[in-house]
Amino acid sequence: MRQSGFNRFLLTGGMLAALAGSLMVNAGAMHIAEGWLPVNWCLLWGAVCIPFVVAGFLSIKRRIDQAPRAKILLAMCGAFAFVLSALKIPSFSGSCSHPTGVGLGAILFGPLTMAVLGLIVLLFQALLLAHGGLTTLGANTFSMAIAGPILSWAVYRLLRKMKAPPALAVFAAAALGDLFTYVVTSLQLGLVNGGMEKFLAIFAVTQVPLAIAEGLLTVVIFNVLEKYSQAQLQELRVL
Amino acid sequence: MGTDRYAYQSRLRRVAPLPKLVLAAAALVVCLCCDSVWVGLTTVLAMGILITVLGGLPVKVYLHFLKVPLAFLVVGGITILIHSYPTGTATLAALPVGERLWGFTAGDLDQAARLFCKAMGAVGCMYFLSLNTPVTDLTMALERLRVPRLAVELMELIYRFIFVLGATAANIRLAQESRLGYQGFRRSVRSLGELSSMVFLRAWRKAQSIYTALEARGYAGSLATLAGDYTPGLWLLPLTVAIAGGQLLVYGLERMAVG
Repeated sequence: MRQSGFNRFLLTGGMLAALAGSLMVNAGAMHIAEGWLPVNWCLLWGAVCIPFVVAGFLSIKRRIDQAPRAKILLAMCGAFAFVLSALKIPSFSGSCSHPTGVGLGAILFGPLTMAVLGLIVLLFQALLLAHGGLTTLGANTFSMAIAGPILSWAVYRLLRKMKAPPALAVFAAAALGDLFTYVVTSLQLGLVNGGMEKFLAIFAVTQVPLAIAEGLLTVVIFNVLEKYSQAQLQELRVL
Repeated sequence: MGTDRYAYQSRLRRVAPLPKLVLAAAALVVCLCCDSVWVGLTTVLAMGILITVLGGLPVKVYLHFLKVPLAFLVVGGITILIHSYPTGTATLAALPVGERLWGFTAGDLDQAARLFCKAMGAVGCMYFLSLNTPVTDLTMALERLRVPRLAVELMELIYRFIFVLGATAANIRLAQESRLGYQGFRRSVRSLGELSSMVFLRAWRKAQSIYTALEARGYAGSLATLAGDYTPGLWLLPLTVAIAGGQLLVYGLERMAVG
Protein backbone atom coordinates (compact mmCIF):
# COMPACT_ATOMS: atom_id res chain seq x y z
CA MET A 1 0.00 0.00 0.00
CA ARG A 2 2.68 2.43 1.01
CA GLN A 3 4.61 1.54 -2.09
CA SER A 4 1.72 2.38 -4.44
CA GLY A 5 0.96 5.60 -2.56
CA PHE A 6 4.55 6.64 -3.07
CA ASN A 7 4.31 5.76 -6.76
CA ARG A 8 1.24 7.90 -7.14
CA PHE A 9 3.01 10.73 -5.42
CA LEU A 10 5.92 10.38 -7.84
CA LEU A 11 3.59 10.26 -10.80
CA THR A 12 1.69 13.37 -9.75
CA GLY A 13 4.92 15.20 -9.01
CA GLY A 14 6.27 14.21 -12.38
CA MET A 15 3.15 15.42 -14.13
CA LEU A 16 3.24 18.76 -12.35
CA ALA A 17 6.94 19.17 -13.12
CA ALA A 18 6.30 18.38 -16.78
CA LEU A 19 3.46 20.91 -16.82
CA ALA A 20 5.64 23.57 -15.25
CA GLY A 21 8.45 22.69 -17.63
CA SER A 22 6.30 23.00 -20.71
CA LEU A 23 5.18 26.43 -19.56
CA MET A 24 8.75 27.53 -18.96
CA VAL A 25 9.88 26.57 -22.43
CA ASN A 26 6.87 28.13 -24.02
CA ALA A 27 7.71 31.57 -25.32
CA GLY A 28 4.21 32.78 -26.00
CA ALA A 29 2.64 31.49 -22.79
CA MET A 30 1.65 34.95 -21.67
CA HIS A 31 -0.10 35.85 -24.90
CA ILE A 32 -3.62 34.47 -24.94
CA ALA A 33 -3.84 32.50 -28.18
CA GLU A 34 -6.17 33.29 -31.05
CA GLY A 35 -9.63 31.85 -30.57
CA TRP A 36 -9.23 31.11 -26.88
CA LEU A 37 -11.70 33.69 -25.60
CA PRO A 38 -15.43 33.70 -26.44
CA VAL A 39 -16.75 36.55 -28.54
CA ASN A 40 -18.31 38.53 -25.68
CA TRP A 41 -15.04 38.55 -23.70
CA CYS A 42 -13.09 39.62 -26.79
CA LEU A 43 -15.44 42.57 -27.23
CA LEU A 44 -15.38 43.43 -23.53
CA TRP A 45 -11.57 43.54 -23.27
CA GLY A 46 -11.41 45.46 -26.51
CA ALA A 47 -13.84 48.02 -25.14
CA VAL A 48 -11.89 48.32 -21.88
CA CYS A 49 -8.75 49.14 -23.88
CA ILE A 50 -10.34 51.86 -26.01
CA PRO A 51 -10.14 54.79 -23.54
CA PHE A 52 -6.49 54.09 -22.75
CA VAL A 53 -5.51 53.71 -26.39
CA VAL A 54 -7.40 56.86 -27.41
CA ALA A 55 -5.81 58.86 -24.58
CA GLY A 56 -2.39 57.52 -25.57
CA PHE A 57 -3.02 58.32 -29.21
CA LEU A 58 -4.02 61.89 -28.41
CA SER A 59 -0.97 62.41 -26.23
CA ILE A 60 1.27 61.07 -29.01
CA LYS A 61 -0.46 63.36 -31.48
CA ARG A 62 0.18 66.35 -29.24
CA ARG A 63 3.85 65.49 -28.96
CA ILE A 64 4.19 65.11 -32.71
CA ASP A 65 2.43 68.41 -33.36
CA GLN A 66 4.97 70.09 -31.09
CA ALA A 67 7.99 68.26 -32.50
CA PRO A 68 7.58 66.31 -35.77
CA ARG A 69 10.77 64.42 -34.99
CA ALA A 70 8.93 62.60 -32.21
CA LYS A 71 7.12 60.45 -34.78
CA ILE A 72 10.30 58.75 -35.95
CA LEU A 73 11.55 58.42 -32.38
CA LEU A 74 8.33 56.85 -31.15
CA ALA A 75 8.29 54.44 -34.07
CA MET A 76 11.86 53.45 -33.19
CA CYS A 77 10.75 52.91 -29.59
CA GLY A 78 7.92 50.65 -30.76
CA ALA A 79 10.29 48.61 -32.91
CA PHE A 80 12.68 48.42 -29.95
CA ALA A 81 9.88 46.98 -27.81
CA PHE A 82 9.19 44.34 -30.46
CA VAL A 83 12.85 43.37 -30.81
CA LEU A 84 13.28 43.28 -27.02
CA SER A 85 10.35 40.90 -26.65
CA ALA A 86 11.85 38.63 -29.30
CA LEU A 87 15.15 38.25 -27.40
CA LYS A 88 15.71 35.20 -25.26
CA ILE A 89 16.07 35.92 -21.57
CA PRO A 90 18.15 33.51 -19.45
CA SER A 91 16.38 31.91 -16.53
CA PHE A 92 17.63 30.16 -13.40
CA SER A 93 16.38 26.79 -14.56
CA GLY A 94 18.52 26.92 -17.68
CA SER A 95 15.50 27.25 -19.93
CA CYS A 96 14.65 30.39 -21.85
CA SER A 97 11.78 32.77 -22.07
CA HIS A 98 11.26 36.22 -23.50
CA PRO A 99 11.28 39.50 -21.59
CA THR A 100 8.00 41.35 -21.70
CA GLY A 101 9.62 44.77 -21.72
CA VAL A 102 6.62 45.99 -19.76
CA GLY A 103 8.63 47.72 -17.04
CA LEU A 104 11.29 49.18 -19.30
CA GLY A 105 8.75 50.60 -21.73
CA ALA A 106 6.62 52.10 -18.98
CA ILE A 107 9.57 53.82 -17.28
CA LEU A 108 11.03 55.11 -20.54
CA PHE A 109 7.92 56.18 -22.41
CA GLY A 110 5.17 56.47 -19.79
CA PRO A 111 2.03 54.34 -19.60
CA LEU A 112 -0.07 56.29 -22.10
CA THR A 113 2.42 56.08 -24.94
CA MET A 114 3.01 52.45 -24.01
CA ALA A 115 -0.67 51.61 -24.58
CA VAL A 116 -0.49 52.65 -28.26
CA LEU A 117 2.97 51.25 -28.97
CA GLY A 118 2.05 48.05 -27.13
CA LEU A 119 -1.10 47.63 -29.19
CA ILE A 120 0.84 47.92 -32.45
CA VAL A 121 3.60 45.61 -31.22
CA LEU A 122 1.06 43.01 -30.11
CA LEU A 123 -0.69 43.21 -33.47
CA PHE A 124 2.60 42.53 -35.24
CA GLN A 125 3.41 39.71 -32.85
CA ALA A 126 0.07 38.12 -33.65
CA LEU A 127 0.45 38.52 -37.41
CA LEU A 128 4.14 37.82 -37.82
CA LEU A 129 4.87 35.34 -35.04
CA ALA A 130 1.40 33.97 -34.13
CA HIS A 131 2.00 35.00 -30.51
CA GLY A 132 -1.46 36.06 -29.39
CA GLY A 133 -4.19 36.70 -31.90
CA LEU A 134 -6.49 39.18 -33.57
CA THR A 135 -9.59 38.42 -31.50
CA THR A 136 -7.59 38.23 -28.28
CA LEU A 137 -5.77 41.46 -29.11
CA GLY A 138 -7.92 43.43 -26.67
CA ALA A 139 -7.27 41.08 -23.76
CA ASN A 140 -3.55 40.91 -24.47
CA THR A 141 -3.31 44.67 -24.89
CA PHE A 142 -5.01 45.18 -21.55
CA SER A 143 -2.70 42.84 -19.64
CA MET A 144 0.59 43.68 -21.36
CA ALA A 145 0.27 47.21 -22.68
CA ILE A 146 -2.05 48.80 -20.10
CA ALA A 147 -2.29 47.06 -16.71
CA GLY A 148 1.36 45.98 -16.43
CA PRO A 149 2.88 49.29 -17.57
CA ILE A 150 0.58 51.37 -15.35
CA LEU A 151 1.62 49.36 -12.29
CA SER A 152 5.31 49.50 -13.28
CA TRP A 153 5.15 53.21 -13.80
CA ALA A 154 3.34 53.81 -10.51
CA VAL A 155 5.81 51.65 -8.58
CA TYR A 156 8.75 53.43 -10.18
CA ARG A 157 7.39 56.90 -9.48
CA LEU A 158 6.44 56.00 -5.91
CA LEU A 159 9.82 54.48 -5.06
CA ARG A 160 11.70 57.39 -6.62
CA LYS A 161 9.59 59.80 -4.61
CA MET A 162 10.39 57.85 -1.47
CA LYS A 163 14.08 58.40 -2.29
CA ALA A 164 14.70 54.71 -2.88
CA PRO A 165 17.90 53.90 -4.78
CA PRO A 166 17.25 54.02 -8.56
CA ALA A 167 18.36 50.42 -9.08
CA LEU A 168 15.82 49.19 -6.53
CA ALA A 169 13.05 51.27 -8.10
CA VAL A 170 13.82 49.93 -11.57
CA PHE A 171 14.04 46.35 -10.32
CA ALA A 172 10.78 46.55 -8.39
CA ALA A 173 8.96 48.26 -11.25
CA ALA A 174 10.07 45.71 -13.84
CA ALA A 175 9.56 42.60 -11.68
CA LEU A 176 6.21 43.69 -10.26
CA GLY A 177 4.93 44.88 -13.65
CA ASP A 178 5.89 41.52 -15.10
CA LEU A 179 4.11 39.63 -12.32
CA PHE A 180 1.05 41.84 -12.51
CA THR A 181 0.81 41.13 -16.24
CA TYR A 182 0.64 37.42 -15.45
CA VAL A 183 -1.89 37.94 -12.69
CA VAL A 184 -4.14 39.85 -15.10
CA THR A 185 -3.68 37.15 -17.75
CA SER A 186 -4.66 34.44 -15.24
CA LEU A 187 -7.66 36.52 -14.29
CA GLN A 188 -8.68 36.85 -17.92
CA LEU A 189 -8.29 33.11 -18.48
CA GLY A 190 -9.95 32.17 -15.19
CA LEU A 191 -12.97 34.41 -15.71
CA VAL A 192 -13.90 32.52 -18.84
CA ASN A 193 -13.43 28.90 -17.90
CA GLY A 194 -12.94 28.97 -14.14
CA GLY A 195 -9.82 27.61 -12.51
CA MET A 196 -8.24 30.99 -11.88
CA GLU A 197 -6.33 29.65 -8.89
CA LYS A 198 -4.87 26.89 -11.08
CA PHE A 199 -3.58 29.40 -13.61
CA LEU A 200 -2.25 31.55 -10.77
CA ALA A 201 -0.52 28.55 -9.20
CA ILE A 202 1.21 27.62 -12.44
CA PHE A 203 2.26 31.21 -13.00
CA ALA A 204 3.47 31.58 -9.44
CA VAL A 205 5.79 28.62 -9.86
CA THR A 206 7.07 29.48 -13.29
CA GLN A 207 6.88 33.24 -13.58
CA VAL A 208 8.39 34.42 -10.30
CA PRO A 209 11.91 33.37 -11.37
CA LEU A 210 11.28 34.94 -14.76
CA ALA A 211 10.07 38.17 -13.20
CA ILE A 212 13.21 38.33 -11.06
CA ALA A 213 15.36 37.67 -14.12
CA GLU A 214 13.58 40.41 -16.03
CA GLY A 215 13.99 42.79 -13.10
CA LEU A 216 17.74 42.15 -13.01
CA LEU A 217 17.96 42.56 -16.76
CA THR A 218 16.13 45.87 -16.66
CA VAL A 219 18.50 47.15 -13.96
CA VAL A 220 21.49 46.25 -16.17
CA ILE A 221 19.87 47.97 -19.15
CA PHE A 222 19.24 51.06 -17.08
CA ASN A 223 22.80 51.21 -15.74
CA VAL A 224 24.20 51.12 -19.25
CA LEU A 225 21.66 53.67 -20.48
CA GLU A 226 22.51 56.03 -17.64
CA LYS A 227 26.20 55.74 -18.45
CA TYR A 228 25.99 56.25 -22.18
CA SER A 229 22.77 57.97 -23.08
CA GLN A 230 22.08 60.57 -20.44
CA ALA A 231 21.01 63.01 -23.14
CA GLN A 232 18.39 60.66 -24.60
CA LEU A 233 16.95 59.92 -21.18
CA GLN A 234 16.67 63.65 -20.54
CA GLU A 235 14.96 64.14 -23.86
CA LEU A 236 12.49 61.33 -23.21
CA ARG A 237 11.35 63.03 -20.08
CA VAL A 238 10.36 66.09 -22.07
CA LEU A 239 9.45 64.23 -25.26
CA MET B 1 10.52 37.03 -40.14
CA GLY B 2 7.79 34.52 -39.31
CA THR B 3 4.86 34.59 -41.68
CA ASP B 4 5.95 37.67 -43.59
CA ARG B 5 8.45 35.89 -45.80
CA TYR B 6 5.77 33.52 -47.06
CA ALA B 7 3.24 36.30 -47.54
CA TYR B 8 5.46 37.91 -50.14
CA GLN B 9 5.73 34.58 -52.02
CA SER B 10 2.01 33.86 -51.92
CA ARG B 11 0.07 33.63 -55.16
CA LEU B 12 -2.63 35.78 -53.56
CA ARG B 13 -0.07 38.51 -52.87
CA ARG B 14 -1.36 40.72 -55.71
CA VAL B 15 -5.01 40.38 -54.70
CA ALA B 16 -6.38 43.48 -52.95
CA PRO B 17 -6.05 43.12 -49.17
CA LEU B 18 -9.60 44.06 -48.26
CA PRO B 19 -11.40 40.95 -49.66
CA LYS B 20 -8.80 38.75 -47.96
CA LEU B 21 -9.39 40.58 -44.70
CA VAL B 22 -13.15 40.11 -45.07
CA LEU B 23 -12.79 36.39 -45.77
CA ALA B 24 -10.54 35.79 -42.76
CA ALA B 25 -12.70 37.91 -40.44
CA ALA B 26 -15.96 36.24 -41.49
CA ALA B 27 -14.59 32.73 -41.06
CA LEU B 28 -13.05 33.73 -37.72
CA VAL B 29 -16.28 35.16 -36.32
CA VAL B 30 -18.38 32.18 -37.44
CA CYS B 31 -15.82 29.76 -36.00
CA LEU B 32 -15.81 31.58 -32.65
CA CYS B 33 -19.58 31.89 -32.44
CA CYS B 34 -20.30 28.22 -33.24
CA ASP B 35 -17.94 27.01 -30.49
CA SER B 36 -17.88 23.39 -31.66
CA VAL B 37 -15.27 20.73 -32.29
CA TRP B 38 -16.31 19.98 -35.85
CA VAL B 39 -16.66 23.59 -36.99
CA GLY B 40 -13.16 24.27 -35.61
CA LEU B 41 -11.68 21.31 -37.44
CA THR B 42 -13.54 22.21 -40.65
CA THR B 43 -12.26 25.77 -40.45
CA VAL B 44 -8.63 24.85 -39.94
CA LEU B 45 -8.89 22.34 -42.80
CA ALA B 46 -10.65 24.80 -45.14
CA MET B 47 -8.10 27.53 -44.41
CA GLY B 48 -5.32 25.01 -44.97
CA ILE B 49 -6.77 24.18 -48.40
CA LEU B 50 -7.12 27.87 -49.31
CA ILE B 51 -3.60 28.68 -48.15
CA THR B 52 -1.95 25.74 -49.88
CA VAL B 53 -4.02 25.50 -53.07
CA LEU B 54 -4.78 29.18 -53.76
CA GLY B 55 -1.76 30.69 -52.04
CA GLY B 56 0.69 27.99 -53.07
CA LEU B 57 2.23 27.46 -49.64
CA PRO B 58 3.79 24.01 -49.09
CA VAL B 59 1.64 21.87 -46.78
CA LYS B 60 4.66 21.21 -44.56
CA VAL B 61 5.07 24.92 -43.87
CA TYR B 62 1.40 25.31 -42.96
CA LEU B 63 1.64 22.41 -40.53
CA HIS B 64 4.77 23.93 -39.05
CA PHE B 65 2.96 27.21 -38.46
CA LEU B 66 0.03 25.40 -36.86
CA LYS B 67 2.45 24.05 -34.27
CA VAL B 68 3.40 27.55 -33.07
CA PRO B 69 0.37 28.25 -30.82
CA LEU B 70 0.21 24.58 -29.79
CA ALA B 71 2.28 25.09 -26.64
CA PHE B 72 -0.18 27.62 -25.21
CA LEU B 73 -3.17 25.58 -26.30
CA VAL B 74 -1.87 22.35 -24.73
CA VAL B 75 -0.94 23.96 -21.41
CA GLY B 76 -4.15 25.98 -21.28
CA GLY B 77 -6.16 22.92 -22.29
CA ILE B 78 -4.64 20.76 -19.57
CA THR B 79 -5.30 23.45 -17.00
CA ILE B 80 -8.95 23.53 -17.98
CA LEU B 81 -9.16 19.74 -18.32
CA ILE B 82 -7.84 18.73 -14.90
CA HIS B 83 -10.14 19.36 -11.97
CA SER B 84 -10.15 18.09 -8.43
CA TYR B 85 -13.15 15.98 -7.44
CA PRO B 86 -14.20 14.28 -4.22
CA THR B 87 -13.53 10.53 -4.30
CA GLY B 88 -16.32 8.56 -5.90
CA THR B 89 -17.01 10.96 -8.78
CA ALA B 90 -17.45 9.25 -12.15
CA THR B 91 -14.27 10.41 -13.87
CA LEU B 92 -12.82 9.17 -17.14
CA ALA B 93 -9.29 9.23 -15.77
CA ALA B 94 -8.04 10.45 -12.43
CA LEU B 95 -5.21 10.22 -9.96
CA PRO B 96 -6.08 10.05 -6.28
CA VAL B 97 -4.06 12.66 -4.40
CA GLY B 98 -4.72 12.57 -0.69
CA GLU B 99 -8.46 12.69 -0.13
CA ARG B 100 -9.39 13.96 -3.57
CA LEU B 101 -9.32 12.81 -7.18
CA TRP B 102 -7.45 14.88 -9.74
CA GLY B 103 -8.70 14.10 -13.21
CA PHE B 104 -11.39 14.85 -15.76
CA THR B 105 -14.94 13.80 -16.51
CA ALA B 106 -16.57 13.41 -19.91
CA GLY B 107 -17.90 16.98 -19.61
CA ASP B 108 -14.44 18.39 -18.91
CA LEU B 109 -13.00 16.52 -21.86
CA ASP B 110 -15.74 17.86 -24.11
CA GLN B 111 -15.17 21.43 -22.95
CA ALA B 112 -11.40 21.24 -23.42
CA ALA B 113 -11.75 19.62 -26.85
CA ARG B 114 -14.21 22.30 -27.99
CA LEU B 115 -11.91 25.08 -26.85
CA PHE B 116 -8.88 23.47 -28.45
CA CYS B 117 -10.53 22.88 -31.84
CA LYS B 118 -12.16 26.30 -31.87
CA ALA B 119 -8.79 27.93 -31.22
CA MET B 120 -7.12 25.89 -33.96
CA GLY B 121 -9.81 26.99 -36.41
CA ALA B 122 -9.33 30.62 -35.40
CA VAL B 123 -5.57 30.30 -35.80
CA GLY B 124 -6.15 28.94 -39.30
CA CYS B 125 -8.21 32.04 -40.20
CA MET B 126 -5.49 34.33 -38.91
CA TYR B 127 -2.92 32.43 -40.97
CA PHE B 128 -5.01 32.84 -44.11
CA LEU B 129 -4.64 36.57 -43.62
CA SER B 130 -1.02 36.74 -42.50
CA LEU B 131 0.39 34.10 -44.88
CA ASN B 132 -1.16 35.76 -47.93
CA THR B 133 -0.98 39.45 -47.10
CA PRO B 134 2.25 41.33 -46.33
CA VAL B 135 1.95 43.83 -43.49
CA THR B 136 2.46 46.78 -45.82
CA ASP B 137 -0.68 45.75 -47.75
CA LEU B 138 -2.60 45.36 -44.50
CA THR B 139 -1.71 48.84 -43.31
CA MET B 140 -2.96 50.17 -46.63
CA ALA B 141 -6.24 48.32 -46.08
CA LEU B 142 -6.48 49.82 -42.59
CA GLU B 143 -6.10 53.26 -44.08
CA ARG B 144 -9.01 52.57 -46.40
CA LEU B 145 -11.00 51.50 -43.34
CA ARG B 146 -10.52 55.03 -41.95
CA VAL B 147 -8.01 54.18 -39.25
CA PRO B 148 -6.33 57.52 -38.40
CA ARG B 149 -3.46 58.40 -40.69
CA LEU B 150 -1.03 58.84 -37.82
CA ALA B 151 -1.71 55.35 -36.43
CA VAL B 152 -1.21 53.77 -39.85
CA GLU B 153 2.01 55.70 -40.35
CA LEU B 154 3.32 54.64 -36.94
CA MET B 155 2.56 51.04 -37.87
CA GLU B 156 4.38 51.31 -41.17
CA LEU B 157 7.41 52.91 -39.55
CA ILE B 158 7.51 50.40 -36.70
CA TYR B 159 7.22 47.54 -39.18
CA ARG B 160 10.19 48.83 -41.14
CA PHE B 161 12.30 49.55 -38.04
CA ILE B 162 11.67 46.07 -36.61
CA PHE B 163 13.85 44.60 -39.35
CA VAL B 164 16.53 47.27 -38.99
CA LEU B 165 16.82 46.78 -35.23
CA GLY B 166 16.43 43.02 -35.50
CA ALA B 167 19.49 42.84 -37.72
CA THR B 168 21.45 45.05 -35.30
CA ALA B 169 20.46 42.88 -32.33
CA ALA B 170 21.34 39.68 -34.18
CA ASN B 171 24.80 41.03 -35.05
CA ILE B 172 25.54 42.08 -31.48
CA ARG B 173 24.28 38.75 -30.16
CA LEU B 174 26.54 36.82 -32.53
CA ALA B 175 29.53 38.91 -31.48
CA GLN B 176 28.73 38.35 -27.80
CA GLU B 177 28.17 34.63 -28.24
CA SER B 178 31.46 34.16 -30.05
CA ARG B 179 33.15 35.76 -27.02
CA LEU B 180 31.38 33.38 -24.58
CA GLY B 181 29.03 36.11 -23.47
CA TYR B 182 26.20 33.74 -22.60
CA GLN B 183 28.03 31.27 -20.35
CA GLY B 184 26.18 31.10 -17.05
CA PHE B 185 23.36 33.16 -15.64
CA ARG B 186 25.25 36.26 -14.44
CA ARG B 187 27.11 36.74 -17.67
CA SER B 188 23.97 36.12 -19.73
CA VAL B 189 22.05 38.81 -17.87
CA ARG B 190 24.90 41.28 -18.28
CA SER B 191 25.35 40.54 -21.97
CA LEU B 192 21.64 40.75 -22.67
CA GLY B 193 21.39 44.01 -20.75
CA GLU B 194 24.26 45.51 -22.71
CA LEU B 195 22.76 44.28 -25.95
CA SER B 196 19.36 45.79 -25.18
CA SER B 197 20.72 49.16 -24.17
CA MET B 198 23.03 49.31 -27.19
CA VAL B 199 20.13 48.48 -29.50
CA PHE B 200 18.17 51.28 -27.85
CA LEU B 201 21.04 53.71 -28.31
CA ARG B 202 21.52 52.75 -31.95
CA ALA B 203 17.77 52.99 -32.55
CA TRP B 204 17.83 56.50 -31.19
CA ARG B 205 20.76 57.57 -33.36
CA LYS B 206 19.24 55.93 -36.41
CA ALA B 207 15.96 57.73 -35.80
CA GLN B 208 17.81 61.05 -35.67
CA SER B 209 19.63 60.44 -38.94
CA ILE B 210 16.48 59.16 -40.64
CA TYR B 211 14.67 62.31 -39.61
CA THR B 212 17.52 64.44 -40.95
CA ALA B 213 17.45 62.52 -44.21
CA LEU B 214 13.67 62.96 -44.49
CA GLU B 215 13.89 66.67 -43.84
CA ALA B 216 16.55 67.03 -46.48
CA ARG B 217 14.08 65.50 -48.93
CA GLY B 218 11.24 67.85 -48.13
CA TYR B 219 9.46 65.97 -45.33
CA ALA B 220 6.30 67.85 -44.39
CA GLY B 221 4.91 65.72 -41.60
CA SER B 222 3.66 62.62 -43.37
CA LEU B 223 5.00 59.87 -45.58
CA ALA B 224 2.88 59.61 -48.69
CA THR B 225 3.08 56.38 -50.69
CA LEU B 226 1.35 55.20 -53.85
CA ALA B 227 -1.26 52.48 -53.56
CA GLY B 228 -0.06 49.04 -54.62
CA ASP B 229 -0.93 47.44 -57.94
CA TYR B 230 -3.71 45.01 -57.03
CA THR B 231 -6.25 42.84 -58.76
CA PRO B 232 -9.63 43.58 -57.17
CA GLY B 233 -10.16 39.99 -55.98
CA LEU B 234 -13.92 40.28 -55.89
CA TRP B 235 -14.15 36.55 -56.59
CA LEU B 236 -13.10 36.04 -52.99
CA LEU B 237 -16.45 37.36 -51.78
CA PRO B 238 -18.60 34.44 -53.04
CA LEU B 239 -15.91 32.17 -51.58
CA THR B 240 -16.33 33.93 -48.24
CA VAL B 241 -20.06 33.25 -48.30
CA ALA B 242 -19.44 29.63 -49.32
CA ILE B 243 -17.02 29.07 -46.44
CA ALA B 244 -19.33 30.65 -43.88
CA GLY B 245 -22.17 28.54 -45.30
CA GLY B 246 -20.04 25.41 -45.02
CA GLN B 247 -19.16 26.19 -41.42
CA LEU B 248 -22.81 26.75 -40.54
CA LEU B 249 -23.79 23.54 -42.36
CA VAL B 250 -21.30 21.55 -40.27
CA TYR B 251 -22.66 23.24 -37.16
CA GLY B 252 -26.22 22.33 -38.13
CA LEU B 253 -25.28 18.73 -38.88
CA GLU B 254 -23.52 18.43 -35.55
CA ARG B 255 -26.53 19.85 -33.77
CA MET B 256 -28.80 17.36 -35.51
CA ALA B 257 -26.49 14.47 -34.65
CA VAL B 258 -26.49 15.48 -30.98
CA GLY B 259 -30.11 16.48 -30.65
